[in-house]
Amino acid sequence: MKRSIAVVLGAAATAISLVLAGCGSGSDSSDSSSGPVTLTLAGWSLSTTPEFKTLADGFHAAHPDVTVQLKEYDATNYDTQMIADLAAGKAPDIYVQKNLKNFYTYQHGKQLLDVSDVAKGLGDKVGGLSDYQLGGKTYAIPYRQDSWVLFYNKDLFGKAGVAVPDGSWTWDDYVSAAKQLTARLKVAGSKALGDYQHTWQSTVQGFALAQTSGADLTSGNFSYLKPFYTRALDLQSSGAQVSLGDATTNSLTYQAEFGKQQAAMMLMGTWYIATLLAQQSSGDADQFQWGMAPAPQSDKSTTGTSATPVTFGDPTGLGINPKLGKGKVAAAKQFLAYAAGEDGAKALAGIGITPADSAAVTDTFFALKGMPTDDVSKFAFAKHDTKPENPVSQYTAGLQNVLNDLHTAVMSGSKPVDAAISEAQSRAKNEVLNK
Amino acid sequence: MTSMPVARRRRSRPVWRNTVVGWSFLLPNFIGFAVLTLVPVVLLFYYAFTSWDVFGGAEWTGLANFRQLLHDHSFWTALSNTVYYTLFHIPLTLAASLVLALLLNRKLRAVAFFRTVAFFPYITSIVALAQVWNMLFSPGYGPINEILRAVGVHHPPGWTTSADWSMPAVILVGTWREMGYYMLLFLAGLQAIPTQLYEAARVDGATAWQRFRAVTLPGLRPTTFFVTVMLTIGSFKVFDLILVMTNGGPGQSTLVLSQFIYQKGFVENQFGYASAVSIVLFVVCLLVTVAQFSVNRRRNA
Amino acid sequence: MDTLLDARPGAPTAAAFRGRPGRRGRAVRVLGYLALVVASAAVLLPFYWMVMSSLKTNNDVFTLPVKWVPDSVVWHNYVDIWRKSDMTTWLRNTLTLSVAVTVLQVFTGSFAAYGFAKVRFPGRDVLFLAYVATIAVPWQSYMIPQFILMSKLKLSDTLWSIIALQAFGAFGVFLMKQFYESIPDELVQAARIDGMSEYGIYRRVILPLSVPALASLTLLTFVNTWNDYLGPLLYLRSHSIWTVQIGLKSFISTYNAEYALIMTGSVLSVLPVAVIFLLGQRYFVEGIATTGLKG
Repeated sequence: MKRSIAVVLGAAATAISLVLAGCGSGSDSSDSSSGPVTLTLAGWSLSTTPEFKTLADGFHAAHPDVTVQLKEYDATNYDTQMIADLAAGKAPDIYVQKNLKNFYTYQHGKQLLDVSDVAKGLGDKVGGLSDYQLGGKTYAIPYRQDSWVLFYNKDLFGKAGVAVPDGSWTWDDYVSAAKQLTARLKVAGSKALGDYQHTWQSTVQGFALAQTSGADLTSGNFSYLKPFYTRALDLQSSGAQVSLGDATTNSLTYQAEFGKQQAAMMLMGTWYIATLLAQQSSGDADQFQWGMAPAPQSDKSTTGTSATPVTFGDPTGLGINPKLGKGKVAAAKQFLAYAAGEDGAKALAGIGITPADSAAVTDTFFALKGMPTDDVSKFAFAKHDTKPENPVSQYTAGLQNVLNDLHTAVMSGSKPVDAAISEAQSRAKNEVLNK
Repeated sequence: MTSMPVARRRRSRPVWRNTVVGWSFLLPNFIGFAVLTLVPVVLLFYYAFTSWDVFGGAEWTGLANFRQLLHDHSFWTALSNTVYYTLFHIPLTLAASLVLALLLNRKLRAVAFFRTVAFFPYITSIVALAQVWNMLFSPGYGPINEILRAVGVHHPPGWTTSADWSMPAVILVGTWREMGYYMLLFLAGLQAIPTQLYEAARVDGATAWQRFRAVTLPGLRPTTFFVTVMLTIGSFKVFDLILVMTNGGPGQSTLVLSQFIYQKGFVENQFGYASAVSIVLFVVCLLVTVAQFSVNRRRNA
Repeated sequence: MDTLLDARPGAPTAAAFRGRPGRRGRAVRVLGYLALVVASAAVLLPFYWMVMSSLKTNNDVFTLPVKWVPDSVVWHNYVDIWRKSDMTTWLRNTLTLSVAVTVLQVFTGSFAAYGFAKVRFPGRDVLFLAYVATIAVPWQSYMIPQFILMSKLKLSDTLWSIIALQAFGAFGVFLMKQFYESIPDELVQAARIDGMSEYGIYRRVILPLSVPALASLTLLTFVNTWNDYLGPLLYLRSHSIWTVQIGLKSFISTYNAEYALIMTGSVLSVLPVAVIFLLGQRYFVEGIATTGLKG
C-alpha cells in the first residue's frame, strides 16, 4: 500500500513539476544567423484562405534564403489553440493577431516581441499600425485593414425608384431611405426589406464609437450609444429591417441576406467583397448589380467626396513569438515589413484582400472580375478614416462583453435604451474598470 | 444494506490487507486519473490565489480574486441563473427519463427503434439541435408562436429572445436533450431489480402503483442517486447548450457560471480570476454532492 | 398507468393491458403506439431538419419563413464531403479512439468501482468523493495546464493524448460503483467464504451480473468519445490523426459558414453512432437480471 501511494505521489509530483516548468522553457535553439533560415507562420483554413501562402511565397521569392512554412490552425478556435500552443512552448515563430480583442492577452502575457523598429521603417501609410502600440512600443504589424462600408443592391434601388447613396448620406438619410425602400419594394411585389443589420454589436456600437467626438470606450461613459440605438430600434420596429430576435433565432447569415437580395442595403466590412465576388460566380449568391458607398455619417461635416468619411474596422496583424531562435529574429522582422509594405499589399489585393496599405492598391482591386466600377464605390473603398472597433487596453475585452449584453438587451426589447446604458455603465465601473 | 454479522466478520480481516486489495483495484484507473486530471485540478486551487495569465506568469494575490468575486454583480447573476437552471432541469429530466425508461423497458414491437429515437436528441449535433429549437421558438415566424396565436394568445412569449422566457426555453431544450441519456442509465438500473420481487408483490395483491412504490423505486435507488448526482453536476456545469442557444442573452438573462468562467479566462485574460470561480463552482457541487451522499446513506441504513 | 408503472423487464404488452376486453385492449394499444409514433416524430424533428438542410443549397438553409422541404433536392453536399475530404482516415481514427477509450474506461472503471463498492479500507470514501467532485470542475478552466502536461509527456498531437484524456474519467467508476451497490453484499461475502479471491469475485460473480450497466457505460463512453470535439481540437493537429468531428468542422470552416455542408457532416457523424446504439440497446431487454439473494 505504501509503495502504491508512493508511486502515485511520485507521478503526481513529476506531473506538477512538468506543468510548472512548462512555461519557462521552450526556446529551442541558438542556431547561427548565417545560411538558410526556415520560419514558421500560423494560418487557418489554408485551402480557402490563400493570404498566408501568398505572403509566404511572395516573401520567399524576394528572399530566397528564407523559407516560410505554414502551420494550420482552426479558423473558429484559432485563439484557443494558439494560447495553448504558446503556453506549452510549441507555437510557430510568427503568428497572426486574428482580432484586436485578444491582442492584449498575448502582449500582456509577454508572448509578443517588440517590433517597434519594423514599424518605424514602414511610415504612416499602413493603416491600423497605432492599434498595436502600447507604452510607446509596437508589438504587431498589420497586413490587412478592413473598414466598414455600405453595400447596396443597385437593382433593388432601381426597382424601388430610390436614388442610390452618393456619399453624402447622414444616418437620417439612411433611415429614411431604408423605410422608403421597404415600402416601395413591397408595392413593387418584392419581399426584400430596406436594410439588413447583422446581429453583431459592432453594427451599432462600432459606428457610435468611431463617429461620436469625445466617445471613449474606457471612460465607462456610454451615453454616446443612445442616438445610434434609437435609430436602430426605429428601423427595427418600422419593419425596415429584420429584428434581432428573428435574425438570431433563424441564424440569418449576412451573406445570404444580401447575396440572395433579401435586403437592399447592408453595412459590412470590406472583407465581404471577396466573399460576394466568389458567391456570385459560384451561384451561391444571385446575380445583381451592387455597389459600395461610404458608411452614413453622424453629421454633414464628414460627408461628400471632398471630405474623409469616418468609419471603423479592426486590423489583422502579424506578431513574433519571443521564443523563436535568436538567428531568426532578423528574418522574421523582414517578413513583417514585407507583409505590411507595398509588395505585400499588391500580392494581397490580387486575391481580393484589403491590405493595410489600401490606397496603393485600389486599381488592382477594382480590376477584379465582378467589381463595381462607379466612382463612389472606389471612393468608399480607398478613402476613409478608420477607427478601431476595439481600442487596445486592459479593459477592452471586459467592456465589450458588457456592451454585448447591452446590445442584446436593447435590441430584443428586454430593456429600454436609457436603463440598459446606465446598467452597462455601473457594470463597467464595478466589474471591469476597477482592476 | 449491510447486515450486522457481515459487517463484524469483515472488520475482523486485517485492515492493511483490505487496503492493498482495495488500492490494487483502484490503481489502473487512479494512476491515469491522478496524473491527467487530479494534478491540473489541484493546480487550479493554487492558480485561484494568483493573477495567473496562462503563459506562466502567476503572482500570488492571496484572497484578492475571491474578494473581487464578492462584489462582482455578474458573478452573482451567473450563479443565480445557474441555480435557476439546476432547480428546474433536475426534477424535469429525472421525471422524463424515468418515465421513458419505464415505458421502454418491456417487450414492445419496435422497442429498439423507439429507444434509439429517445436517445437521438443526445447524439444529434448540438448546433443542429439549437438551430431547430431556435427556429421553432422564433418570435415572429416560429411555429410555436403561430400555434399560440391561433389558439388566442395575443402576445405569445419571445422565448429565447426575451429576458423572461429565455431560461425556461433553455431548460425545456436541456431536458429534451438529456432525457434519453438518463433513460439509458435507468434502463440499466431496471435490469438489476430481481423479477421475483415483482412476482411476490403481485401474489400479495399489490396494485401497479404499489408495486412501483414498493419494488421499482427502492430497487432503482442506486441508479437514481447516480443520475441525480450526475444531473446536479451537469446542470451546474451547463455550457455548450447555452452557448449555442442564447449565448447568455438577451442581456445576461441566461448567463451561467461555466460561460462566465470561459469569458473571464479566454476572453478577458483573467485566468486567475476564472480559476477562483471554478473553485467556487467545484465547492458548490461538492457540497451538494456530499449532501446527496449523506441523504442516500441515511436512506440505505 | 398500469403499463407505465409495471417495469418488469420483458413484460409482454398483452399482459400490460390484461383484464380488459380484447377489442378495447387493442384500441388502447393502437393508441399507445400512435402516441409513441407522434412523440418520436417530435423528437426526430431536429434530425429531420438536419437531413433536409443537408439536401439544400447553402443560402437556402436559413430563410424566413422556414422551408421544411427543399425546393429541389441537392445531393452534391454528400458528394463534396466524400470527394474533397479525408473521410475514411477520419472514420478510422475515430473508430480506433472510440474503441480504445471505451475498452479502457470500461475495464479500469469497473475494476476501480469494485474497490470502491465492495472492499473497505480507510480513506476510501474521501477518495471517492474527490473522484466525483473533479467531474464538477469545468474543463475549460484546467485544459491549458493539462495541455502543457501532455506536451511535456510528448503525448500531444498523437492519438494517445485523447486516449489518456478520456479513458480514466471518473464517470465510469461512479456509474459502475452505483450499480455494484445494488448487488447484495451477501453474494460477495458468500463467495469469500468459499475461498474466492477478490479478483475472482470481481470476474466470476460481479461482472456477469453487471452486463446491463457495462452495456450502458460502453454505449455512453463510445458516444461521448465519438462526439468529442474540444479535446481533439486542442490535441490533434496533424491531419493524419484527425477525427470525424474535427475533420468535418475544419472542412466546413474552410468553406466558411456553409450550413448545408455543416448539416451534411452532422448527419454523417450521427449515423454510425445511431447504428451502434441500435445494436447495443438489446442488452437492456434480454434481462440478465440478478437472481438476487439466492447466491
